[in-house]
Amino acid sequence: MVVGPSGAGKTTLLRAISGLETLDSGRIDLGGRRIDRLPAHKRRCAVVFQEPRLLNHLDLLDNVGISLLARGVPRKDRRSRAAELIDQVGLGELAGRGVKGLSGGEQQRVALARALCAEPDLLLLDEPLSAVDPNRRASLMELILELQSDRQVTTVSVTHDRAEAAEMGQHIALLIDGKVLQSAEPAVLFERPETERAARFFGMNVISGKVGGGHLRLEGCEFPVSGPDGEAVFSIRPESVLLRSGAGPEMTVVESVYLGSHVRLRLRAGQTEIESHVRPGEAPASGEKVRVCLPESGLWRIPEP
Amino acid sequence: MLAPAVGTTLLLFGGALAGAVEQSFTPPLGGGLETWTLESWRQVLGDPVFVDAFWFSLRTTLVATLVSAGLALLIATLMRTRSAAMRTAVAFPVPVPHLIVAVVAVLWLAPGGLADRVLGTLPLNLVRDQLGLGVVLVYVFKETPFLVLLLLAVMGRRLEEQEEMAAVHGIGRWGRLRWVIWPAVRAPLLIGSMIVAAFVFSAFEVPLAVGPNYPPSLGTYALEVTKSDAIGGAGQAAAALLLGAVASIAFALAILGLFKARREPDER
Repeated sequence: MVVGPSGAGKTTLLRAISGLETLDSGRIDLGGRRIDRLPAHKRRCAVVFQEPRLLNHLDLLDNVGISLLARGVPRKDRRSRAAELIDQVGLGELAGRGVKGLSGGEQQRVALARALCAEPDLLLLDEPLSAVDPNRRASLMELILELQSDRQVTTVSVTHDRAEAAEMGQHIALLIDGKVLQSAEPAVLFERPETERAARFFGMNVISGKVGGGHLRLEGCEFPVSGPDGEAVFSIRPESVLLRSGAGPEMTVVESVYLGSHVRLRLRAGQTEIESHVRPGEAPASGEKVRVCLPESGLWRIPEP
Repeated sequence: MLAPAVGTTLLLFGGALAGAVEQSFTPPLGGGLETWTLESWRQVLGDPVFVDAFWFSLRTTLVATLVSAGLALLIATLMRTRSAAMRTAVAFPVPVPHLIVAVVAVLWLAPGGLADRVLGTLPLNLVRDQLGLGVVLVYVFKETPFLVLLLLAVMGRRLEEQEEMAAVHGIGRWGRLRWVIWPAVRAPLLIGSMIVAAFVFSAFEVPLAVGPNYPPSLGTYALEVTKSDAIGGAGQAAAALLLGAVASIAFALAILGLFKARREPDER
């Protein structure tokens, strides 16, 4: 899984792997064979693009079986193979019809079946859920994971959505400005980022201050921490920031936004700002003062560069 | 929304066509449609010059249209990824009137013309040659860019994306041309070619300027009979041009039928 903000080079990376962009330097190997000098149609890398790119003059079966057309597979066999795949992506009852009238999600399922029909050595998914209705994303994501697991096909998927990356990826590479900043399992990236940029991308609070005497001293407040004294940068997930009465520095709620599953709070003390996510029933109102606790288990000291 | 365009078309072309039909059935010495006659039609169909003119027009039309269509497909395929400036340059001949191109062709290509003076004697005589090569050349020069424009209009980003899709699903260059590009361009190419063919078949200014003295084209035949027969010429000219129009429509319908019957079996 490759994740990164818009303009990071995610799509360019997939296009380079699949042969749609030429490399300026470097090489690409796939399964022990060098592929960067091969034209796109000889690389055996099928791509599911952001938009389904179906051919309107072909029906669904011929769209799915288009890779078999190039291999000279007879029409009957081609359509029968395509029908199996259409069935696997849950569109069996639509097999014989044309492309027009299909929803975005259905079209993307057809695109997925088309890519699998090519039996690629590498399956590349370029934000396959971005054009799909939010309510249907979950089922399409589930389908992708299921098919990938059944077929054991190596897959590289790119997205700008960190939650989607965490859900789909066994291994995530964070790409920013064309460079991989960190590459690890989802939990590591979400909880132990190696840089401030990585921490910010994964939605963590980044807090810079001075550690001394077992406390992180910030402008306007201080929190107990462990580790050596000196300048330090910490990160903590908003879900880990606790609000409680009693001990802990006092901060003011400057923003409270209801987001359905949780309430996002922006807390301020002096120049220090922290984001916290709390359950809807437990959210203080804007302007209220709260005691804040940053538990050591959730606090991560970002390694010095 | 379409009413103004349909109205103008019906008024201009439908009106002209109705006028020609009336003229062709009007007795040479006058009278209304109540005294209609087939005399003009009989004279035209019995005239060997008309038959020669018909075949000459058909031949030059077919050659000019097929060459223009083939060249347009090639040029559009090569130009579609080029800059807008280059694409505009290709379209340069479209707004130039046919007559001006024909006059320039005469100035350059006629025996003793500018090309002879600059390059020495040309190996081919393209002006007033019996085969009508000059006529074909002028129409190819004029109509190819028109067809290129039609093709470039459908060869946009969407087609490029579909080609990329085909490439990453293992389809090579020729396969993409056959299964992605051709299905997208064939309808505009066919419709454009039919427009070109209908225009070339009945046009008269280019054959008049660069065509052979004999046979005439259908258009020049109509002009000549009008000039040579002050009494019945107009009726004969109308009949000749109507026959040309009927042939154009029949030809277009036949091509459409063939096109539908011969659709790529893999696409159905």
